Amino acid sequence: MRNKLTIYLLSGGLALLLLALISLYSGVYRFSDASVWKILMQGLSNPAAIAPGDHYVLFSLRLPRMVMAMLIGSALAVSGTCLQGMFKNPLATPSLVGITSGASLFAALAIVLGAGLKAFLPEMLQYSLISIMAFLGAILTMTLVYRISNTNGKTNIVIMLLAGVAISALAGAVTGFLTYLTREEQLRDLAFWTLGSLGGASWVKNGILTVVVTVSFVLLINKGKALNAMMLGEKDAAHLGIPVEKLKKQIVILAALMVGTCVAFAGAIGFIGLIVPYILRLIFKSDYRIILPLSAILGSILLLCADTVSRTIVPPAEIPIGILTAFMGAPVFIAILVRFKKSM
Amino acid sequence: MIKAQNISFAHRKFRILDQVDLSVGNHELLVIVGPNGAGKSTLLSLLANETESNEETIFFKDKRFSEWSSKALAVHKAKFSQQNNADIPLPAKDIVLMGRYPYFNSSPGREDLQVVADMMKATEVAHLAERNYNALSGGEKQRVHLARVLAQLQNDIEHKLAFFDEPLNNLDIKHQFNILNTIRQFTRKGNSAIIVLHDLNLAAQFADNVLLLKNGKVVAHGRPQVVFTEAVIRETYNFPCTICPNPITKNPMIIFGIQRNSNT
Repeated sequence: MRNKLTIYLLSGGLALLLLALISLYSGVYRFSDASVWKILMQGLSNPAAIAPGDHYVLFSLRLPRMVMAMLIGSALAVSGTCLQGMFKNPLATPSLVGITSGASLFAALAIVLGAGLKAFLPEMLQYSLISIMAFLGAILTMTLVYRISNTNGKTNIVIMLLAGVAISALAGAVTGFLTYLTREEQLRDLAFWTLGSLGGASWVKNGILTVVVTVSFVLLINKGKALNAMMLGEKDAAHLGIPVEKLKKQIVILAALMVGTCVAFAGAIGFIGLIVPYILRLIFKSDYRIILPLSAILGSILLLCADTVSRTIVPPAEIPIGILTAFMGAPVFIAILVRFKKSM
Repeated sequence: MIKAQNISFAHRKFRILDQVDLSVGNHELLVIVGPNGAGKSTLLSLLANETESNEETIFFKDKRFSEWSSKALAVHKAKFSQQNNADIPLPAKDIVLMGRYPYFNSSPGREDLQVVADMMKATEVAHLAERNYNALSGGEKQRVHLARVLAQLQNDIEHKLAFFDEPLNNLDIKHQFNILNTIRQFTRKGNSAIIVLHDLNLAAQFADNVLLLKNGKVVAHGRPQVVFTEAVIRETYNFPCTICPNPITKNPMIIFGIQRNSNT
């Protein structure tokens, strides 16, 4: 079981690496030297030796964007898997439960209200502020939805989804209003918030994301056993020595942190937290010991794929990445609903 | 092993348990019986540290539950709960393996897998190991969870305690006896078990002691011969009955629906 997981993780990592190379190659801009690898190596050792165009495209556009796609894909997939474990349902994902909307709302608030501060704060601090606000929005909505839908350790799925709809509607309205009022460029682009985009990738954002993702993964990735036990019900999990309340708090805080940061930097990219665990469940049943670590890799692969396609399918334009994830996610959503209906 | 003094429990001013005293020793198999709504399951979940009572008057191995670490508790006691019908898309053996979660970190050792196989054999679900849990029948699911609870307490610690809340639901007669025999073997090794049962005859046959509850109060507590008397049972269940010695085991045998006219 241990060895199998290692093999899956390794082959997933390899696939991701291959995909990363392909992603660096693809795009409207053609490098003067055909080998990206060469430019990459040279750029690190002797930046002056390569064409400035090549250097800019690779190091300031494609590379940060690729890294951001991997980090966000991974973060969204892992938070989706953890939420499903906590709510004990495959429909509990950041976007359906309304957490993404809550985070968007608070991020938008931070951008609008923080506009005046922009001149005085260093870039790092600005982005940290936005992601902290998005985190607060995420944690607030998550707590609210959990409180509304949970009675005696059991989640009422219908209530959970409807609470998500209600919160999304409210957050959407307020975000829309803010967008309408403000002159802030980032908010101006409504598509950015509603459909998500990795176009704003930068090394500063990647730095913050890396810290958030690393901390969360260290604490969450080994919770597979605990999430499996949670399927028995919270009381039975407690009899197995699982600290249920502590686990739930950890998941709420860390998932909110990850989703919040992702939303702050890339808008509301939906469905990754739904698709990734769904695919893994098809192959590995519901064993969180396997699907939790694997969702970190598959999330990266999926979002990197989607992003590469989104910027190459209609050159020289770029379609919002959320359109692609929704194309994949909506059928999965329907498939889960159909199965859910059967089990009722 | 476990001692509870004067435990009461109320839910929204409605008294469910009223000053129950109870103690279970090593090697003891205690069966809790009583009519519906007597507070049996509530008592069991209080004793198993599932529900917190206001006053801490339960001593497990001379310590309050709050003095135990949750890890240590998980290898000293286990509980089989009543509603185990949740949707768990895993093979049956993975559910039994959950009973070994307190014993390994990321992947199970050879011993853990051996215990899983042994316990599945003991509850006669070994042939279902690879089957999807959701596709099992009610009785099979029940036995899978029993195997899980038994697997949790397979260790070298002396004097462990297992709780079972109506473990025989959905089971046919052969499996009922098999499960009770397995539990009795467990108690023979110095361990204790507390079981909530509905079948008084099975209780009389397997229990060392019986606790009869009604409306949250202890009606009788002691050996089956002491608790199962015609007057007490008739009164408690509000139903006519006759009790005679079992012709083979000499334990009390309760026959409901028939009343001896001994008084007239």
